[in-house]
Amino acid sequence: MNGIWYYMQRDMVKWLRSRIGVISLLVMPAAWLIFVGLALPVTFTGNYLDFITPGILVMTMLASSMQGGALLMFDRILGFLNKFLALPTPREDILFGKILFITIRGVLQSTVILIVATLIGASILSLFQYAMIYLILILFGIVLSGLATTVALYVGDHDSYAAVNTMISMPLFFTSSALMPYSVMPVWLRAIATVNPLSFAIDAIRSVGAGTVPLLQIGILAGLGIIVLAICMQVFRKMTI
Amino acid sequence: MNAIETHDLTRYYDDLCAVGHLTLSVNNEIFGLLGPNGSGKTTTVLMLTTLLRPSSGTASVCGHDIAKDGENVRRQLSYVPQDMAVDIKLTGRENVLFFARLYGIPRPKDKTDEVLAVMELADRADDLIRTYSGGMRRRLELAQALVHEPAVLFLDEPTIGLDVAARKKIWEHIRGLRKNGMTVFVTTHYMDEADQYCDRVGIISKGQVVALGRPSDLKSGLMTDVITARVSGLAGIPAIEGVTWIGQADDEISFTAENGKEALPLIAQALAATGAKVRTLSLREPTLDDVFLHAVGNQEEPRHFNDHQFRTMLRRRK
Repeated sequence: MNGIWYYMQRDMVKWLRSRIGVISLLVMPAAWLIFVGLALPVTFTGNYLDFITPGILVMTMLASSMQGGALLMFDRILGFLNKFLALPTPREDILFGKILFITIRGVLQSTVILIVATLIGASILSLFQYAMIYLILILFGIVLSGLATTVALYVGDHDSYAAVNTMISMPLFFTSSALMPYSVMPVWLRAIATVNPLSFAIDAIRSVGAGTVPLLQIGILAGLGIIVLAICMQVFRKMTI
Repeated sequence: MNAIETHDLTRYYDDLCAVGHLTLSVNNEIFGLLGPNGSGKTTTVLMLTTLLRPSSGTASVCGHDIAKDGENVRRQLSYVPQDMAVDIKLTGRENVLFFARLYGIPRPKDKTDEVLAVMELADRADDLIRTYSGGMRRRLELAQALVHEPAVLFLDEPTIGLDVAARKKIWEHIRGLRKNGMTVFVTTHYMDEADQYCDRVGIISKGQVVALGRPSDLKSGLMTDVITARVSGLAGIPAIEGVTWIGQADDEISFTAENGKEALPLIAQALAATGAKVRTLSLREPTLDDVFLHAVGNQEEPRHFNDHQFRTMLRRRK
């Protein structure tokens, strides 16, 4: 258990020491929020910021996880993974440490977005609502970072992983319910958006904002998280011996 | 109980036999596994450190089976791979402390200070690794490996890419560890270093151990003197009485003889008689290189580089 914490700590210190990395990860989502949230001429809702913030939060979690997926792959390419695997520390700690780091980093980014959104005019929610938003984001982050880390380890090299990343991120974002509600979508897009996993998390956060408690969605996300972690662990074990 | 014991240890990559029927016991010594690139050294180390499953055969480290009891094996050993993987954005102290904590040793901070001092890095401990030289980075990796006082230390090409002074320093540290009772298993393709610092060496070629013993015994197993002739237009190797051919590399032919000085003119004449032009002749005591050539070079003409096999191995080894 301690191993997870130390592996996370290593990545965290390394990340915090690369100023460019920190700035880009914290500033970019906020910029997105400001440009998209304030610039688009939208007529279907009164407060577009309230509408777009869940979309930006989930998109940020996705981008952060996809980017973080490459970390373990690089550890492997550079020889760190072999050193870690030769330690008596449980080997799964390496994987869980990565997932923990990526999720924490995503949560930090989400916090910046929530603060900026509030500053430029989004509605202030109750503490309980914020707690639920964080819970959804954390569960979603665990699922995504687990998947991304495993996929990256599986494809093995940076170029292929960058291709996978491009192939997944953008289409997934633009076919989700992030930018517009289902009611104004063309029919074909609505069909895609309703089965898009991103929409699932976005809709859950929106329903929190609307004052309901999306127990079902949180339950499904938690179940999904357990399944994904189990699969990742199996793949990781297979790939490392 | 020996620190390392292998029996028929074998590893295939597809149909390429990287290590074949390796049987070894190593205890309380600096053991050097020598051989050219791609001869199976790293594969052997990966199996012994539980990073790669053997295709067949068994091995144990400090009595723990590498296939069945991986976690206990890893408790006894430290492994420093060839790649030099240290975090350049962390300081020397942070790099070592990270490992100390992962090993779960008591008082990790004190132990970190201690090993940094042993590796002569104490005064640079709080600098980022970015500013360390290659030799310092390698010593830092040794410090990481020593922090939990392993019974067995595996070093894969510890001196590769380092300058002469740095190499010497690394080897002196390794010797110091051996004196404190640690078993050190080193791979290298630098024969002269192995000759100088290893208690015992095994020469491995294409996955097979072809010679095993103390460097001095292996050398005296060859006859006393080695004569190397540089020739052009070589037609064939002549048979010369009292002189044994031991190998050939490009235009250099090596012989051994009981009495090298007397053999020199005989060799020159015999080679000239075949129509070859002798350009230089030299005489020296045998080195591990000669042992290696004797064990490997005889049976093997320089082969064409097998690109496919090489790639298969690289891919699988990652």
